[in-house]
Amino acid sequence: MLDFELTVNGQRYPVRAEPRKLLSDVLREDCRLTGTHVGCEHGVCGACTVLVDGKPSRACLIYAVQMQGHEVTTIEAVAKDGKLSPLQQALHEVHGLQCGFCTAGIVMTFEAYLKENPRPSEAEVREVLSGNLCRCTGYHNIVKAIIRVADEGSDATA
Amino acid sequence: MRRPKLRHIGAALPRKEDLRFLTGHGRYVEDIEVPGALHACFVRSPHPHAKILSIETETAKIASGVIAIYTGKDLARWTTPLRMAPPIEGLRPVEMTTLPIDKVRFHGDPVACVIATSRYLAEDAAERVEVDYEPLPAVANLEQALLENAVKVDESLPSNLVSIQKYKTGDPEARKREAFKVVESEFHQGRMTHLPIETRGLAAVWDEGRQHLTVHIGNQVPHPYRSQVAARMRLSESQVTIVSPDVGGGFGQKIALYREELTVCAASRQLKRPVRWREDRMENLMAASHAREDSVRTRAAVTKEGRLLGLELEILEDFGAYCFYPANYLARVVAMILTGPYKLRDYAFEVKVALTNKCGNGPMRAPMAITSWVIEGTMDAIARELGLDPLEVRRLNMVETRELPYTMPTGEVIADITPRETLEAAVKAIDYAGFRKRQAAARKEGRHLGLGLCSVVESTTYGSKFYKAAGIPGSGHEAAWLRIEPGGAVNASVGLGATGQGYETAFAQVVADGLGVEPSQVRMQMGNTDVAPYGMGSRGARGGTAGGTAIFLAAREANEKVLAIAAQMLGFDSAEGLHLVDGRVEREILGERVKTDLTLAQVARTAYLDPTALPKGMAPGLDFSKTYDPPPMTYSNAAHACEVELDAETGALKILRYVVAEDCGTVLNPFVVEGQQHGAIAMGLSGALLEHMRYDEHGNNITGSLADYLVATSTDLPGFEVIPMHTPSRGNPVGIKGMAEGGVMGAIGVIACAVNDALSPFGVIADRQPLSPDYLRSLIRSAR
Repeated sequence: MLDFELTVNGQRYPVRAEPRKLLSDVLREDCRLTGTHVGCEHGVCGACTVLVDGKPSRACLIYAVQMQGHEVTTIEAVAKDGKLSPLQQALHEVHGLQCGFCTAGIVMTFEAYLKENPRPSEAEVREVLSGNLCRCTGYHNIVKAIIRVADEGSDATA
Repeated sequence: MRRPKLRHIGAALPRKEDLRFLTGHGRYVEDIEVPGALHACFVRSPHPHAKILSIETETAKIASGVIAIYTGKDLARWTTPLRMAPPIEGLRPVEMTTLPIDKVRFHGDPVACVIATSRYLAEDAAERVEVDYEPLPAVANLEQALLENAVKVDESLPSNLVSIQKYKTGDPEARKREAFKVVESEFHQGRMTHLPIETRGLAAVWDEGRQHLTVHIGNQVPHPYRSQVAARMRLSESQVTIVSPDVGGGFGQKIALYREELTVCAASRQLKRPVRWREDRMENLMAASHAREDSVRTRAAVTKEGRLLGLELEILEDFGAYCFYPANYLARVVAMILTGPYKLRDYAFEVKVALTNKCGNGPMRAPMAITSWVIEGTMDAIARELGLDPLEVRRLNMVETRELPYTMPTGEVIADITPRETLEAAVKAIDYAGFRKRQAAARKEGRHLGLGLCSVVESTTYGSKFYKAAGIPGSGHEAAWLRIEPGGAVNASVGLGATGQGYETAFAQVVADGLGVEPSQVRMQMGNTDVAPYGMGSRGARGGTAGGTAIFLAAREANEKVLAIAAQMLGFDSAEGLHLVDGRVEREILGERVKTDLTLAQVARTAYLDPTALPKGMAPGLDFSKTYDPPPMTYSNAAHACEVELDAETGALKILRYVVAEDCGTVLNPFVVEGQQHGAIAMGLSGALLEHMRYDEHGNNITGSLADYLVATSTDLPGFEVIPMHTPSRGNPVGIKGMAEGGVMGAIGVIACAVNDALSPFGVIADRQPLSPDYLRSLIRSAR
């Protein structure tokens, strides 16, 4: 067992865990942030995507102990004071989620992506989204929500 | 029954469920903290087929954190075996123990269960369990299964043929003799798995003091599941509670009581401690449940004009090693509804199901998925062999609206469907007329376009009469309750199990119209067997028709009582002319609606807290329960059309356009319906293009990761153009027809038809799925 400290969503968490314990498991069990879901544990499905220093990363491919000195952001930090982010709001309005299990990973991926690429084309959105598996929606409405929020964002800044 | 004006049913309300899912506050099984819970890990067979000679657990037992290790012999003392023996002609009875005792039957079969203080430690110890196996030759495919002197997967059976059903009506032999031509076709569908993004898992909590088992599990059918757990644990149904919170996808995989789950329940009872288990993705791929793998042949006797005179169908299905369902259950429905919207009198089928050394099969979203591909592929074959336009062959054979209700040759009755309307709408939307020119022009440039059409008649909701007639035990009814609480809050429940269908929203809309409140005032309480009424759960596409109608009937009864009380409170003799609208009582005077001051909350307060003020003889409270058994079968329909481009050099396929015209009756919530249509089409296309659970020739599973088992990502799928053409059903009071599986049927069929259209210059036919680039390229190469 190792004792170390993690910074998640701006908050410090003292953790006692084996060095082999995955970030996804530590977030869920030790930090009690269960919004990060585990779908495949081999880095394919993207459900466990979190931000590490602002970059989308698969929490199932990282040992928690490696995250000392880094900032981890999870789905729980996206809505501020109970207000959905524009991306979350768009997913809600166009029915971009069904069972909801993959949703956190998709939100985290695109919260980061849209910051760097505020006006992506549909093809670009589909390319980035291909790292997240969704078995319910057929992706149609997820793509629609992302395009919508990108359009709204660019309208607002225009 | 008086039907109120629908104000909320059909409204595009964003879902109530979304907020918690979007913010990371859903409650999936693994999100439920159970203090003191132990963790289970299963030791699995590395062999497809082998005798278990011994299991040595001593070394593993002393490993760090290990609490107990159980094997099949232990489980046999604490649980009863599963006996699958419904009285169906041609179906062999089978039985399985909770864990295998004498032999393993597939690569991944669980042989022992390690219970430890953490999942990590349980996995460590599982590697130390030594099982001595004597490998046996394995049955790796259907061909091997049906050989004379084949190795037997199940020694209690006379052969691997676990089920055979034959049926004949009219004289298909005579029709073949009279026919201008007999057109033969083949269809081979690969083995697949459901792949919910949330794998299987549960937390079993045994309460020694109360002698009660609580099972937290993502499940589609909480009450039938409870019956199974109770029976096999030798408990009564009052000693078991199933809590199924948010579920990360089911698609048919979360119906059966699996052996691992029962083992975990038994372990909790033995250890008097909570035990939980979550399988990893490799276990989910190899050992949860598989689906499909059918080989189908049709022989169609046709006139020179392409009219169908007689049809023979043969289905052969690979069911895997264990029967968690009656083996005929899936393939038989295909044979029952094969003809869909097409007219036919003379029909014969033979459905054979065989056991092999693979993971057992179960129903996957559209268990009858292959149906539409088979009949539409047969239509295309007729057109191809007679040199006719495939659309004209479909038009010629399709039932006319005036001929409805129409009785299929199997006795199934289709009514209130619109196959001609949806077909013509899809044909128009995809520009069928202009396509041939575009296709010809493209071919000149060496580009290969293809267009497919596929009509779907989807059997959505099975009533009890259907089950009885098919000899399947079980019921098709659904149950609901509705309670208006003393403060006016409306709680309601049905016995379904949500896995993303938006029941909390859509059924709130149904209650809103049935009772006369706003959808926001209604809260659906589901997924707990102590709270919800005993219903048959979510399977097929029955939720809307069976569940929606049950809750509507409860809401109407509630409305009647509320208005009777309101009349008394307002000093009227009767409730005639009174309405409840958005929670307020309105009065009709000379055709005009006038609001009164009376609200539902005031009526509720009277009903609970001032019963002497109620109409004479009326019981206090506002508590209503209803059950609803739908007609034997409810059908909805759709027509799919898609355009593809095939790269003849690489075999790569691109879907250029995808159109579906759909009639699913009264729509409860268009967001949900369209979302279900997208999801179903996606699952169909993913299966038709990519998904393939592969075993090698020795029976070893070679698809143990998501790098091997491919599913569609966002770059593999097109956008979907959905054309709503809904007309209400007359079979139930709300007019619902149901949907959510037909998209799979249509997608599988339409993509195959489109690919074959693109392949037509090469003179080859793709009769096998998945339509992988490898396969398509090999077809083209064989033609050159």
